Formats: sequence, C-alpha cells, structure tokens
Amino acid sequence: MAEPSDEPKPPTSPEADASPEASNAADKAGSFGAVFLTTFTTVFLAELGDKTQLAALLLSAESGRPVLVFVGASLALISSSLVGVLLGRWLSRVLPPQQLERLAGILMIALGLWLGRQAAMSMFPLV
Amino acid sequence: MQLPLLASTFATVFLAELGDKTQLAIVTISGTSSRSGAVFAGSSAALVLASLLGAGAGGSLSAVIPADALQLAASVGFLVIGTRLLLKAGQESEPEG
Repeated sequence: MAEPSDEPKPPTSPEADASPEASNAADKAGSFGAVFLTTFTTVFLAELGDKTQLAALLLSAESGRPVLVFVGASLALISSSLVGVLLGRWLSRVLPPQQLERLAGILMIALGLWLGRQAAMSMFPLV
Repeated sequence: MQLPLLASTFATVFLAELGDKTQLAIVTISGTSSRSGAVFAGSSAALVLASLLGAGAGGSLSAVIPADALQLAASVGFLVIGTRLLLKAGQESEPEG
C-alpha cells in the first residue's frame, strides 16, 4: 500500500496529525507514543552509558556552574538530534524505503554488536 | 552571563554528538519511521534528561550509574531495532520469504 506522503512539515512545529481519521494511519505507521517511547528508551540508554558524554558533562564539576553546562549541553543535544532527524527524513525521501530499511537494519545491528562488545569488554576485562 | 562556558559546552557536546552512535540511531529511526516528530521529541527528551543527570550529578554520576550495564542494555535495544528493520525489509521483497 502506498506510504502516505506527508508534505514536508516545518521541523520546529511538533507533528499534530492526531485527527481521528488518522488513527488507521497511526496504527500502520506506529503510534506517536510507540515511536516516542522506542526512540526515548534507546537514545536514553545509549546516551547515559556513553562515557564520552559523561566526560563532556564533567565540565560542570570543574566550573561549578551545572546550570550553564546543562543548558549548553541540552541545546547542543537538541540541535544534534534535529540534524539527525532531518538527515533521516531526507534519506527516507532519497532512498527507496526497502533499501533504507535494510541499510538501517544492518547499521543498527552493527552498532548494537559494537556497543555490546565495548560494554562486555569493560565489564569483563580480559586479563 | 558566562557565555564562554555555555559556548564551550555547546561546542564540545555538539561535536561529540556528531557521528556518535546515538545520532546514527536517531538518523536510522527517523529514516525508517514516518513519525519524525515523535523521533525528534523522543530523542531530545532522552538527551536532555541524560545531560540533566550528567550536569546535575557532575563527577558523582559516573560512580552512581552502571554505565557498562546501560550500554549493554542499549546494545540490546539497537539489535532489536535492527533485526525488526531487516525483517520488515525482507518481508517487503519476498512476502513468503
């Protein structure tokens, strides 16, 4: 079935297509909540376990201005996730969906294996 | 206002994020879901909360949270999403396959 071609919405305004008749589209494309939750959990876990991120945020310990560091870091993270989302959207318009899904699947599995290996290595250091 | 600190944190974190696995995950999820608004909201909320914990707890955070265990959990999450995507791609080409 044809993917509903959503016209390019301005990235800043959150998607507000919660109209009742969109419910079937919502089920097909995974509801807002489901996608939100999947993204939130995956990104949160990856980000919190990321030692480089902790290192970057330790600036606050030295500067003694956690609020400023938090604001700076959040702005940076939101802009980088906006860049990521827009890149993803652009890719989904340039590549055929099936090919993008296959590429994305391989990338995610590679990332998962690499992350898992890193975590396992530091949890069970090979003597 | 401490602009230098703000600017240096912004630059450090933004550059650290570019090409980081988290951003690759965001690109992947956003590219394969028509709900990029939800992806943006989910990833921003997660990143801000993670940096809130980081900035708030400062040095003590690394002692508090089991970074490795979280990374292991994240890797499982990535593998699940990746497998689901491959299955979905496989289904589309050979439905009976």
